[in-house]
Amino acid sequence: MQEVCLAIPLACLAGAVVSGLFGWKIGRVASHLVTILGVAVAFVLSVSVVLPWTVTGHTFNGSVYTWLTAGRLSLPVGFLIDPLSALMMTVVTFVSLMVHIYSIGYMRDDPGYQRFFSYISLFTFAMLMLVMANNFLQLFFGWEAVGLVSYLLIGFWHTKESAIYASLKAFLVNRVGDFGFVLGIAAIYTHFGSLDYATVFTMAPAKAASMVHMVPGTSWHLMTLICLLLFVGAMGKSAQMPLHVWLPDSMEGPTPISALIHAATMVTAGIFMVARMSPLFELSPAARSVVLVIGALTGLLMAFVAVVQNDIKRVIAYSTLSQLGYMTAALGVSAYAASIFHLVTHAFFKALLFLSAGSVIVAMHHEQDVRRMGGLRRYMPVTFICTWVGSLALAGIPPFSGFFSKDMILDAVHSAHITGAPFAYWVLTAAVFVTALYTFRMLFLVFYGEPRMDKHTREHLHESPWVITVPLVLLAIPAAVAGMLLIKPLLFGHFFGNSIVVSPGDNVLSEIGRRYHGVGPFILNAFRSPPIYLAAAGIASAWYLYIRAPRLPDIISRRFHGLYTVLTNKYGFDEFNDFVFAGGARALGRALWMVGDVQIIDGLMVGGTARLVGWVSARMRRLQSGFIYHYAFAIIAGLFLLMTFFLHV
Amino acid sequence: MTFEQIVFYFFSGVLVLAAVVVVTVRNPVKAALALVLAFFSAAGLWILLEAEFLAIVLVLVYVGAVMVLFLFVVMMLDINIAELREGFGDYLPIGGIVAALMVVEMAIILGPRRFGLAKVPVPQAHGATFSNTRMLGDLLYTTYVYPFEIAAAILLVAIIAAIALTMRRRPETKYQNPAEQVRVQRSDRLRIIRMPSEKKG
Amino acid sequence: MNFMPALPLIFLFGSTCAILLIGLYVGERRTSVVYVLSQVALITTVALVIRDAQAAPIVALHGMFVRDRLADLLDIAICLLVVAVFVYSRRYLSDRDMYRTEYFVLALFGVVGMMVINSAAHFLSLYLGLELMALSLYAMVAFQRDSARATEAAMKYFVLGALASGMLLYGMSMLYGVTGSLSIAKVASTISAMPPGNIVLVFGLVFVIVGLLFKIGAVPFHMWIPDVYDGAPTVVTLYIGTAPKVAALALILRLLVGGLQALSPSWREMLVIAAFLSMGVGNVVAISQTNLKRMLAYSAIAHMGFALLGLAAGGREGYADALFYLLIYSVMSLGAFGLVALLSGPGREIEYIDDLKGLSQRNPWIAFLMLLLMFAMAGVPPTAGFYAKLAVIQAAVDAHLIWLAVAAVLFSVVGAYYYLRVVKVMYFDAPEDDRPFVLPLDGKFLFGLNGLSMLLLTPWIGTIIAFCHSAIQGLP
Repeated sequence: MQEVCLAIPLACLAGAVVSGLFGWKIGRVASHLVTILGVAVAFVLSVSVVLPWTVTGHTFNGSVYTWLTAGRLSLPVGFLIDPLSALMMTVVTFVSLMVHIYSIGYMRDDPGYQRFFSYISLFTFAMLMLVMANNFLQLFFGWEAVGLVSYLLIGFWHTKESAIYASLKAFLVNRVGDFGFVLGIAAIYTHFGSLDYATVFTMAPAKAASMVHMVPGTSWHLMTLICLLLFVGAMGKSAQMPLHVWLPDSMEGPTPISALIHAATMVTAGIFMVARMSPLFELSPAARSVVLVIGALTGLLMAFVAVVQNDIKRVIAYSTLSQLGYMTAALGVSAYAASIFHLVTHAFFKALLFLSAGSVIVAMHHEQDVRRMGGLRRYMPVTFICTWVGSLALAGIPPFSGFFSKDMILDAVHSAHITGAPFAYWVLTAAVFVTALYTFRMLFLVFYGEPRMDKHTREHLHESPWVITVPLVLLAIPAAVAGMLLIKPLLFGHFFGNSIVVSPGDNVLSEIGRRYHGVGPFILNAFRSPPIYLAAAGIASAWYLYIRAPRLPDIISRRFHGLYTVLTNKYGFDEFNDFVFAGGARALGRALWMVGDVQIIDGLMVGGTARLVGWVSARMRRLQSGFIYHYAFAIIAGLFLLMTFFLHV
Repeated sequence: MTFEQIVFYFFSGVLVLAAVVVVTVRNPVKAALALVLAFFSAAGLWILLEAEFLAIVLVLVYVGAVMVLFLFVVMMLDINIAELREGFGDYLPIGGIVAALMVVEMAIILGPRRFGLAKVPVPQAHGATFSNTRMLGDLLYTTYVYPFEIAAAILLVAIIAAIALTMRRRPETKYQNPAEQVRVQRSDRLRIIRMPSEKKG
Repeated sequence: MNFMPALPLIFLFGSTCAILLIGLYVGERRTSVVYVLSQVALITTVALVIRDAQAAPIVALHGMFVRDRLADLLDIAICLLVVAVFVYSRRYLSDRDMYRTEYFVLALFGVVGMMVINSAAHFLSLYLGLELMALSLYAMVAFQRDSARATEAAMKYFVLGALASGMLLYGMSMLYGVTGSLSIAKVASTISAMPPGNIVLVFGLVFVIVGLLFKIGAVPFHMWIPDVYDGAPTVVTLYIGTAPKVAALALILRLLVGGLQALSPSWREMLVIAAFLSMGVGNVVAISQTNLKRMLAYSAIAHMGFALLGLAAGGREGYADALFYLLIYSVMSLGAFGLVALLSGPGREIEYIDDLKGLSQRNPWIAFLMLLLMFAMAGVPPTAGFYAKLAVIQAAVDAHLIWLAVAAVLFSVVGAYYYLRVVKVMYFDAPEDDRPFVLPLDGKFLFGLNGLSMLLLTPWIGTIIAFCHSAIQGLP
């Protein structure tokens, strides 16, 4: 098993290295072939070896290489292969494979073709290292590595000013999250003395009641502190408010990247991490309440913003934020399995939506504004149908996958007793309506109505090539049916086994499981609760506003001008950050630079030392007079001094 | 004071004086001659140590060959004495002080306290039949053959160096090459030119 | 008498004499024969050393000669360095009418001298080996006899070298006076049997140390180095800057570690002073040099300070680290001077740092290799030079010479300045003339190997250090 585990990430790394270092030599076709081969190997191994193996109850937990030993701290590279990581590996490699194939078409004319393939393979490697880790350090390595590749890919078109800004923003905002994450890991190491998952999880219950004194006079539950710090990391990576600001801007990157990294995999790393840390989070209800409320708020507020966006990718990006909010909320009520379930279905349908959007963008010659699209259904039938599938799944219409996972989360939040659960339930239910509204707003604006693009573009409209449509179809299938097939094993079976720990008192899923009697009754049951009607109402409103009465949205936006402005300004997070944090940091930096750096360090210490050394050097150089008797005298004098110094008669 | 001691102190005194003269005297010829004197004194000391062979070799080689050669060179080259001695006075005080201090230090350490008769016994005198030369020869060609060979190599290097650094073919120097002379052909020396016979005018 | 252990030495000596004679017969126009024969002789010597390499020391030739791991390692290193020196210098010599038999013969005699030092078990063989090496070097420095600078440099080197040799010899005679023996092993055993604190021994030691420090070029006995390095023809500087450094370390190891280990508290203190001064003076004065060879000369002084750091730290670890440092340094120095020799084409002499201006535009590959060498000299990881510095500084820390280790780090920061200045000149300054540098193929290949070795050696650093350790283990 160890060999297979090694082969999976290394296949991707090998592809990345080959196309990254030798891409200029082996050419475009060889570059994409080698990376696709690497990822395909990883996918086939994950789905055919690792997944069945873990389903039959095996787990693997072992180190393969000791990277460093310092004192009693040993830092190994190791793998923990259990159902949770196996599932993640399968999803990651599958979506990555689809995106690889899709990129052949999407990136066809890009000069950075090989570099692009190298990056996405490298990303897959990093993501696999993250999910397969059996210790915190490797988790952190994967965490940072995916962040790095994300940064590189957002700024992939590095001649574009906005792309550079966006990549920098993503990097800096993630720093904030990582800071919390590192502190969390440090706290774990300080109090547990180990970075190994198994050790820490075993010791955790014994430390459940311990308190730490951070600031004199206050005391914290150790577990709450650790969980909150770790969650700050998850907030950064999974873009939860208020650290969500980087994700919409990350759409500056190529669309396949948005699908792979900023929808399906990397942004779910935070969700995965919290699920992985379930033994810790279960010990701190307070931390989980925070998780729940932040998730629910992100779910609703970001959905509102999606309604007013005009850039097709930004709509989907805000939708991603909102869906991540759902997952986070599910984590808050201990429904880790439901969260992962939603993660999986979301990976499929959101990747599908992004890639469809990419297909549209290619057809439109890189036009992304939905106001200049319309009527595309006649030109791009495959993309059109795939977008329908994705939208229905996102809106939560049965029997598409999103319905099951989203309903499950709502059910779980409804059944939970934790602080904040009733509030979260109403917030998330409201978000269902908004989700359906913005999803179908986008669908209707793009594919229905009159074509609004210019004549030239319109004449060249045609369906995308097969390398683009095949991944769409391949993703549409799981987006449609994954929910039905997976709900039973993932949620009510024993798929996750011991990889997710839920304390019996908070186990909402087992409560729900007692009422579960199969897919059919589950769908029927849904008709007895509001979400499905809200979703239908959302679709109907979208139809009315954007097909039946297309002038109405303008009127509404003028009538509710204040609200509209708030939404288009995305609640002012960016302005606040720019002014307070970025501005403050710049002011502080300038002060330190002018006084500390220029005057004290450069002027006095660096410059002063250099001048001193130069001065001494010029003086000492004169000793080298060139006269032999000076040299001889130096030797004699040296001898004399040595003699005098050492001969204490 | 025994006779041996008198001889020792005499030669030692002359040796030191001669050495001082070598470095202080203005005229290089005089310095060279003073060095000859120093060698003679040293040879005398060695005889006192029953190292007769070494003493004779010192006189033969250094005085007979090296110093005479040296004198020739010094006398043939017209060395500007004034230039050589420029700055001597400037450096004398500090050089002298350091030298004096070192002598004092050395005297303290190497004095009779550590090398006196109490510490180092008098070497045994050998009989009249004892051949120092034979002894040296025996050792040199058996136990010390390795250093002896290296010394030979050093001399070889010295010869090569001397030749490589000084021997050069100057275009203006005239010299004969017997091999070339013997190998000479008629055609090298004689050229027959056909000339039309002159008409009587 | 068993001559077999000395076979490589005897072979090299014999073939050098043969080459001298063959050189006379083939004449001045076919010096290439001599060149090839010299290379063959050196490589055969290496092969002979390797063939009989033995772990246990063998003492032969009436206790004058010892063959052990240390001697083998140093013999191989020196022979290979000189092979490389010959490759680098071939075209330089032929461009300047110096391509003559005597150059190779003198260099080979120098190697013989160094091998004698490496294997010395007796003060006499040690001293004579030293003189054989030194005499060859003096002659080589003066080899360009029409150059006034070279002659002056040779003169200085000769006079000062004689002074230092005299002191070494005087110190040895003091040791002989106290111990009654010239055999290194006997001296060692006699001294360790004596009560500590014998002042005459320390007195002799001071003189010996002065002679040794002169040979290795440590401050304050370093004054000859810049003048000789600068004045000598570049290929001779290349020779002096590599193999004799290794031999000088052998001299120190044989004499101080092998013979005077019992006095190590005293000589370690002296070496601490010399190490500190060498690192300081070498690095600081190198900054104000504009002449490339002089800069490298001061850099050599500084590097010797680092090597002394390992020796001063003491213990087998420290000696092995010093040995390792010196081996790595000799390879770096070989590359740096080798480049100067290679670039100095006909009618062009690379003298000043500014002569390298814009090298990266004219010969990017060569410039890159030089960059590697400069980084290695500055001790930038992950080059071999970094590991060498790390090893000696580690040794100093282990010996509780914390202040010296801190000083070493600070001085190496100072030193980074002038190495990086070379890089800056190569990469950021515009070339002053656009005559291309045409390098001979063999020299180019070897230089490539030489420069890349700074990176490629990295995975084998552990092995090399282990080699040095096993070499030091053989010392008594």
